[in-house]
Amino acid sequence: MRPLDEKETTLVFEKLFKFVGPNLKHIIERPAVEGPDPGGYCFRLHKNRVYYASESLVRRATSIARPKLVSLGLPIGKITKSGQFRLTIHSLDLLAAHARNKIWLKPAAEMTFLYGNSVTKSMLARITENTKAGDGVVVLSMSDLSLGFGVAARSTQDCRKAETNAVVVHHQADNGEYLRNEEEL
Amino acid sequence: MEGSSYQIDLGNLMAYDSNHHFQSVPSSRVELVKHCLEKGTEMVQAIADSLFSLPSTESRDGPVVKLPAPTTKLPREKHLPKPKPPTKWETFAKMKGIKKRKKNKRVWDEQTSSWKRTHGYDRANDDRDIPILDAKSTDEVGVDPFAKRNAEKKERVKKQEKNRLDNLKKAAKAGALPSHIQLAATALPITGTKKDVPKKASKDELESVAGMAATSTASGGKFDKKLPGEKPPKHSGKHRKFLPVVEGKGIGSKEKQQTEKILNQLLSKSSHEILDVNKAVTMFNVKKEKQRKRDKDANPGKSGKLKPNKKSFKKTSTKKKN
Repeated sequence: MRPLDEKETTLVFEKLFKFVGPNLKHIIERPAVEGPDPGGYCFRLHKNRVYYASESLVRRATSIARPKLVSLGLPIGKITKSGQFRLTIHSLDLLAAHARNKIWLKPAAEMTFLYGNSVTKSMLARITENTKAGDGVVVLSMSDLSLGFGVAARSTQDCRKAETNAVVVHHQADNGEYLRNEEEL
Repeated sequence: MEGSSYQIDLGNLMAYDSNHHFQSVPSSRVELVKHCLEKGTEMVQAIADSLFSLPSTESRDGPVVKLPAPTTKLPREKHLPKPKPPTKWETFAKMKGIKKRKKNKRVWDEQTSSWKRTHGYDRANDDRDIPILDAKSTDEVGVDPFAKRNAEKKERVKKQEKNRLDNLKKAAKAGALPSHIQLAATALPITGTKKDVPKKASKDELESVAGMAATSTASGGKFDKKLPGEKPPKHSGKHRKFLPVVEGKGIGSKEKQQTEKILNQLLSKSSHEILDVNKAVTMFNVKKEKQRKRDKDANPGKSGKLKPNKKSFKKTSTKKKN
């Protein structure tokens, strides 16, 4: 376990910025509540996975040997062999709490998204204004339950003009992955 | 070997026509080339004919012919050796009239009563083989005569080496250095350019190479015996610095600095996106309207637009009278 170095921190922050925007500040400077003398939250790298945990948790985790440490706090993503940072489904809670752009799915369409398909216009119920193409969006059901996240393929304006089968949001992660990719997570 | 009209030197595979001259000067370059090619073909044919007349042996690839020795004498490749200047001893010997004497290969050795060689390993009458040295009156007390002998011998050898080098330098100045020494002297190439000569490695180069060689050992050169004066190798690889995992209670100041820096960079890069221009403009306009309204309410009489026209309808004496 080690802190991220500059390059890695930029990767992680940029990725998070796509989803949460200026709320990134809130994520980084969030005051912790647990543990004796809670500080803030920090990012740590362990076996190519990036974890988001409170400082006191990290301090306690240093007493576990490296090969024995499995996970720590919230595993928001992993750094791939080619040096890219990918967000995993575990980060959904964090993203949903601070996301800027959200999209609501029709009840009939929830299941297809949970199976891993991208969101087409026919599945779309609501979408926040000022979403631009390439922005990160969090996918919610009509009952405001977060289902997953993805990347917007079109801006809000273009969504209105698009045909019913056009892809609106590219799928990146969804709650169904907990069942499908149990070994990889 | 005489051909039809050509002198053929089979050792060099060469044919020479002594009677050739151009009948008429050819008009163009193309004609000249054609003429030369024709002539050349004839002469090559002559060489091939004489080759086939030689006795041949059978080999795997076909008949093999051993060429005779070349008959044409080629000019000298290198210059004639220059006469070298006489050495110090030679000048001395000439002056004194000392002549060279033939020495025997084997000499009778008194000590071991056997024939031993004159010079070299296990030689006759060697200084070092004498076990007992008589003390002379000139000898001081406490001086080891054997050590003294060894030291003297070393001095003599050093002196001889110096003289040899001086002689070589004199010869080099006169340009008459013996060829094997010329080859060894890296600063003086006989043929080729100075660039072909490998340069002496500088101190930094040697240090870095020694460091590289040390790191190729199994333990990375950490436990190698170092020569006196050799500095420990500088770590010349890529150095990756990591922040400490936990500093103090959690995040250390350095990590905080780093995250802040990157956050600020990111936010400033996308500050144009953060500010929604349209929204800002509408907000500004609304604010301004509100402000105006408030001002109006506070000072009702001062609003210029809603003031009634104070025009008088009375006919006054200001009317012009004709």
